[in-house]
Amino acid sequence: MSHPQEPLSSILRPLSTLSPPSNSRTWQSAPHPNLPLVATACSDRTVRVYSLTSFTLLHTITGGHKRSVRSVSWKPGVKGQSVLATGSFDASAGIWRRDERGVEEDFTRRRAGGDGYEDEEEDDDDYQFSCILDGHESEIKSLSWSPSGQFLATCSRDKSVWIWEELEDDNFETIAVLQEHDGDVKCVAWHPEEDLLASASYDDTVRLYKEDADDWVQVAQLNNHGMTVWWVEFEGSGMTKKNFCAQRDGLTDEQARHIELLERSGPRLATCSDDCTVRIWRREPREGAEKTSANTGIPSIIRSMAIDEDWIQEAVLPQQHERAIYSVSWSQKTGLIASAGSDGKILIYKERWKVQASNGVTAEDQDTPMTEKSPLTEWVVIAELFSAHDVFEINHVCWAARSDKGRRNDDDEVILSTGDDGEVKVWVLEEGSVIPET
Amino acid sequence: LFHDLIPQYTYLSDPFEQPVSESDSDDDSVEDIDEQEIYDLISSISDPEHPLSLGSLAVVNLPDIHILPPTSPYSSISTVLVEVTPTITHCSLATVIGLGVRVRLEQALPPRFRIDVRIKKGTHSTDEAVNKQLGDKERVAAALENGTLMGVLRKMLSTCE
Repeated sequence: MSHPQEPLSSILRPLSTLSPPSNSRTWQSAPHPNLPLVATACSDRTVRVYSLTSFTLLHTITGGHKRSVRSVSWKPGVKGQSVLATGSFDASAGIWRRDERGVEEDFTRRRAGGDGYEDEEEDDDDYQFSCILDGHESEIKSLSWSPSGQFLATCSRDKSVWIWEELEDDNFETIAVLQEHDGDVKCVAWHPEEDLLASASYDDTVRLYKEDADDWVQVAQLNNHGMTVWWVEFEGSGMTKKNFCAQRDGLTDEQARHIELLERSGPRLATCSDDCTVRIWRREPREGAEKTSANTGIPSIIRSMAIDEDWIQEAVLPQQHERAIYSVSWSQKTGLIASAGSDGKILIYKERWKVQASNGVTAEDQDTPMTEKSPLTEWVVIAELFSAHDVFEINHVCWAARSDKGRRNDDDEVILSTGDDGEVKVWVLEEGSVIPET
Repeated sequence: LFHDLIPQYTYLSDPFEQPVSESDSDDDSVEDIDEQEIYDLISSISDPEHPLSLGSLAVVNLPDIHILPPTSPYSSISTVLVEVTPTITHCSLATVIGLGVRVRLEQALPPRFRIDVRIKKGTHSTDEAVNKQLGDKERVAAALENGTLMGVLRKMLSTCE
């Protein structure tokens, strides 16, 4: 575990703890797609909606679930209202709505005004229970809306992944029940550009699914994790223009080809596991064939072959977690990765070009047996925070747009960590290697 | 496995919320806890089938309890590893026993301890599966929200005061 390391270049500075915290375990937090809000799934059967401007509690959604709320997901692309899906250990998923027309105006005004702190504007119109999705036989572990908002995926201890489609308001149809996994399905996540779904499981595998002539089918299976895979998340869209690839001056031909390869592959996948590793996967671009012949009347068995995807393990991140890693998250702005888990640590990783000369700068310590040639890039830990939630486990970590008064520009981000202590903490990544006295 | 035992919903509080046992509520102290104290906490748990304690049945044994100190000076997290020896290799209640041990220690020990409960290697026909289940935080949390299963656990732990 203790490789010789370079000094860490960044620190995580505590910005706030969302207040008041829950007095029981919190499982997961989802930032709103366009408003400065975050919803937190709590084991006391509630969902707490906090402001990311004032870091205070705005709403507590109660009465919908009979057991722990395990997962929350905001529907993207909705105008004038917020739509929240909640997945619970009671085996059901709930859909909640809240009219946000007034709020959006207020947020605009606040931004113009610069300060403006309030809790009152939210007034009393609460999240309205809108419908319940029944079907899973046991605990729902995770749910996620597709980027277009057209599909909602849910997964459960019953080993299945369900895809729901909202035909009209509150009328959901089950369009697929995927039963490929041999164990609890822990997490589902959508590709940011395509209707491609990934699921992670207690059976130690990750699987990917796509629609093939009206049928959703498995198109890839990722096997390298040695234990339960807790979380799966796709990289953001178009990241080669935002991450370490954005600086194009002075690249070697090999590096330029690598960027081109990444662009053809599309967003990558990050997974984390009980085996204490975070792994990065990349799709192999199709050789030649531009579009597969989905509608040529070829027998379905062959057609399925044609939509199979080839995902290879690109990297194992530096192994500095000592217990199960429950969550991993890509920044959509910078391509940095955050991870957290049972050991209570938050780690931030950065990808960079590997120094090819043998000058001893890079420690060759990662087992990447999948790649024949030495990888062109490497991941390094740039920040490591111990005991982020005191002695408690961290169940979830994610990036969110920064919205408090400390924000300096549109791309500023915060990191949200959600723990067994019932707290959601807000962190800022800053350059510098000294722990400040706050 | 846990859940096949009894399907019943009644929400019960998480062990993290309020430790049930008052006798061991000294969780503010950083005093050392040794293997013997861990043994004392779990040996008095009752077997779910017999009116006997796990200690007297040699399901839990002092040499199979290990306390691992924090792995870094920046960390205050210690690990307690308990290996349990089921009375017979096909004991279907091995999972419940393991769960009882885990719940007992989560309730009695300060939260800076991580509890790893495993079936001692080679003593149970499905030890891998049971270990995986006992190590899965989410499954354990869901099991503890199961009222009837919690009833079984409470009965097992009622002899612990």
